[in-house]
Amino acid sequence: MNAEGIYDAVVIGAGVVGASSAWHLAQAGLSVALVDAEGPAAAASGASDGAVSVASKKPGPLARLATASLLYTRDLAQGGPLSSAYHPRPSYIFGTGSAESAAIDALIAKLAQLGTAVRLRADGDATLLPGVGTGIDRVVALEGEGHMPGYAAVQGYLREPRIDRFWPAPVTALEESGSEVRIVLGTQTLRAKRVIAALGTATPRLFPTLPVLPRAGQLFVTDRGLAGQLPGALTSAAYLLAKTTAPSVLPKPPVVIDPLATGQYLIGSTREDHGDPTRVDFETLRELMLRAVEAWPALRARRVIRAFAGVRAAVSDGLPIVGSAPGYERVLLATGFEGDGICLSAVIGREAARMTAGLSPDAALAADFAALSPARFAQVQEGAA
Amino acid sequence: MFNPEILIVGAGLAGVAAATELARAGHPVLIVDRAARAGGAIHRQPLPGQAGVATAAARWNRLIAEAEALPIRWAFETRFNGVDHQGTALLTGAENRMLRPKALILTTGAREAVRPRPGWTLPGVTTAGAAQIQLKTMGAAPQGRVVLAGSGPLLIALGAQMTRLKNPPVAIVEAGRPFAHPLTSLRLPLGYLREAAGYMATLLAARVPILTGTRLAAIRAEGETLVSTLTDGNTSREIVADMVCLHDGIRRNDIGLTDCPALSVLRLGDCAEALGARAALEAGRAGGRAMAQALATGTTPTAPNSPLLDRERAAQARLARIYAHDDFAALHSLPSDTVICRCEGRTLDDLRALGPAPRTRELRLLGRFGMGPCQGRFCGEWVARAISDTPQAPVPAHPLGEPRWPAAPIAVADLHAAAPDTGAAPPHPHGVHE
Ligand SMILES: Cc1cc2nc3c(=O)[nH]c(=O)nc-3n(C[C@H](O)[C@H](O)[C@H](O)COP(=O)(O)OP(=O)(O)OC[C@H]3O[C@@H](n4cnc5c(N)ncnc54)[C@H](O)[C@@H]3O)c2cc1C
Repeated sequence: MNAEGIYDAVVIGAGVVGASSAWHLAQAGLSVALVDAEGPAAAASGASDGAVSVASKKPGPLARLATASLLYTRDLAQGGPLSSAYHPRPSYIFGTGSAESAAIDALIAKLAQLGTAVRLRADGDATLLPGVGTGIDRVVALEGEGHMPGYAAVQGYLREPRIDRFWPAPVTALEESGSEVRIVLGTQTLRAKRVIAALGTATPRLFPTLPVLPRAGQLFVTDRGLAGQLPGALTSAAYLLAKTTAPSVLPKPPVVIDPLATGQYLIGSTREDHGDPTRVDFETLRELMLRAVEAWPALRARRVIRAFAGVRAAVSDGLPIVGSAPGYERVLLATGFEGDGICLSAVIGREAARMTAGLSPDAALAADFAALSPARFAQVQEGAA
Repeated sequence: MFNPEILIVGAGLAGVAAATELARAGHPVLIVDRAARAGGAIHRQPLPGQAGVATAAARWNRLIAEAEALPIRWAFETRFNGVDHQGTALLTGAENRMLRPKALILTTGAREAVRPRPGWTLPGVTTAGAAQIQLKTMGAAPQGRVVLAGSGPLLIALGAQMTRLKNPPVAIVEAGRPFAHPLTSLRLPLGYLREAAGYMATLLAARVPILTGTRLAAIRAEGETLVSTLTDGNTSREIVADMVCLHDGIRRNDIGLTDCPALSVLRLGDCAEALGARAALEAGRAGGRAMAQALATGTTPTAPNSPLLDRERAAQARLARIYAHDDFAALHSLPSDTVICRCEGRTLDDLRALGPAPRTRELRLLGRFGMGPCQGRFCGEWVARAISDTPQAPVPAHPLGEPRWPAAPIAVADLHAAAPDTGAAPPHPHGVHE
């Protein structure tokens, strides 16, 4: 901060998006503080799976941004802040029946359009992945994707010593006047030239006009086991159908089985229209595990040792919100990443930092970032009025 | 529709007492226990064909006779994996299903605390409680040279029971100085004194060395034997044994047992407050009646209280003073590679790497403390003490975060076999004690 006690930038929210933004600001030589109501990775980033996946993204801006973020995440993992957080691994998509097979065909076409970041390594029947369930007709193997636990990414970014930290410190108000923003944290007030608000599901509390809604997801973790280790994530093609069409809420969720670096499995996840992380239930666990065992029968020998829910920040139109906050000149929003924030965080943090430093986004991504601007809601409201 | 059962978890004194009161009030009751027979910690019954070691058998026989005359349904070798926010409980094992009970009573008893120290995870090192279970179910003392170490009245009790079964321990190593408080001791209830005097007479007659004010600092394996380092603050010495039983007190066992917005949950006996057998029986009866009353009036049951419970509380407080020691301060000077969390193999070094005052979430996500199958049941207290400036001070009830299910790991195969509750009658009629 400068002699008058003003930071170049204050980032609110120490989830994976806020932590990435703060790291990138510090790399650019800006003075930066990171504030969180609770602490690092206290919300979605500490209670999620960590698939860094292009395959699951809706075609269009999200798929292109995810591709750029995957490539950049790999760079940051080469001795950079994500070196101990990001783990490359193959991904497998399985399907049964014609609708799921068609979804796999669409996926292959989408990946080809996106370049070479994620490649199709093999496309065949169940024999392609030894150990997969016998009821499965088709399996494709992809290479290029990886896994990154959200809290590990946050920890990686926070190794940067030039980030000042304030937590637990809930921001109760943002006051913009002239060339400065005052960030009110209860008894204390920080001053900054610019602010990045990466608040996740709490966004409407400071920005009530934005249609950010909670969408909870239950996740289950097994113990370790010697046998039956999956070489990479195993995702139902039904999940692609669900994620790439309307932002539907699924009562019977398609399953994703993610092998963790510890030798355990993470199995997820539901999409439920509420924000209560204590709602985790045995019937859902059983449903998900039934489907998981159909896909990967070796899971039958495991035990479930942990159950929890995370809450995603969903946006009414299914696209994240990145851009100048309505009603402010100096506040940038980066929120609404629903089930994709870990994957997108590297590129979002980099570009949010660029915009905060007064630069325009990377030219190749400018159009895609334009699609994420919060201005789209202002237009809808004016049109409706 | 079938009148849903009240689920009682744990068939020890508190659970069986609560079951009799509720059954007498006309409620259908299901009592489950992971063990093969009722009895809990104090009245653990011998395995079929074994002699066993009876403690206060008359009290138990009266209670069980009373319970068996009532329409209570028993499910042994059945594990309670927890209750979810909707009020669905999961049972696995012999009775394998989900059920939505009318109310839930948790009487899961106490668990043992064992302070980490170098070598505590070696083969041949166990807990005094585990050794006592073996003794009660098999009717035989652990074999070979056995050292009992740590702190608390259980060491003396187990030592005496082993002596009576013809294998006295080579030493009892007690961190406190229980014999240095004769005046406080005299104010203990007569029953306590009589029991302790019996144990002491047995130990003295067999000349079992009782080293008070002495800590077992470390254990190392040498060939087939275990060498323990003992210290009394000034001098240290070594003692050789085949087996070391550690015990650093008992705690309420409520890890993974959540409250539930959808139904009444009452904790009774040692699971609520570790006060021992007399209190558990009393709390079980009073709690069962309180639950019956609450169900009749549509209110929330309140935890039982009575003069007897107050007396037991006072007695436990005196015992704590008699056994006071500063052993937990040793956590600050342990070698940095000492394992704190057995499940995940996390050491003191891993804990210190989290910085001076790690938050619960950092302890879990980054430190991986409490992330194994035991959910922090064993390491939570020691993590809290090790990061505290005052390791002797009381620690929060849930140092690694709010409890959440599963209360015990759920085998995926059992989960699949667990049919959801359809509101139909249970698989076996009431009154069957299998
Ligand atoms: C079940 C589940 C599975 C998922 N799986 C994946 C996956 O496989 N791949 C993937 O890429 N993504 C996944 N996600 C999504 C991902 O977790 C999120 O998109 C991402 O973590 C969002 O990060 P964030 O920084 O935007 O928000 P958050 O992590 O929610 O962080 C917001 C932070 O802001 C703080 N905050 C809020 N309000 C205030 C205030 N007023 N003052 C101060 N601080 C405040 C909060 O305390 C919090 O720490 C999953 C999510 C869930 C729930």
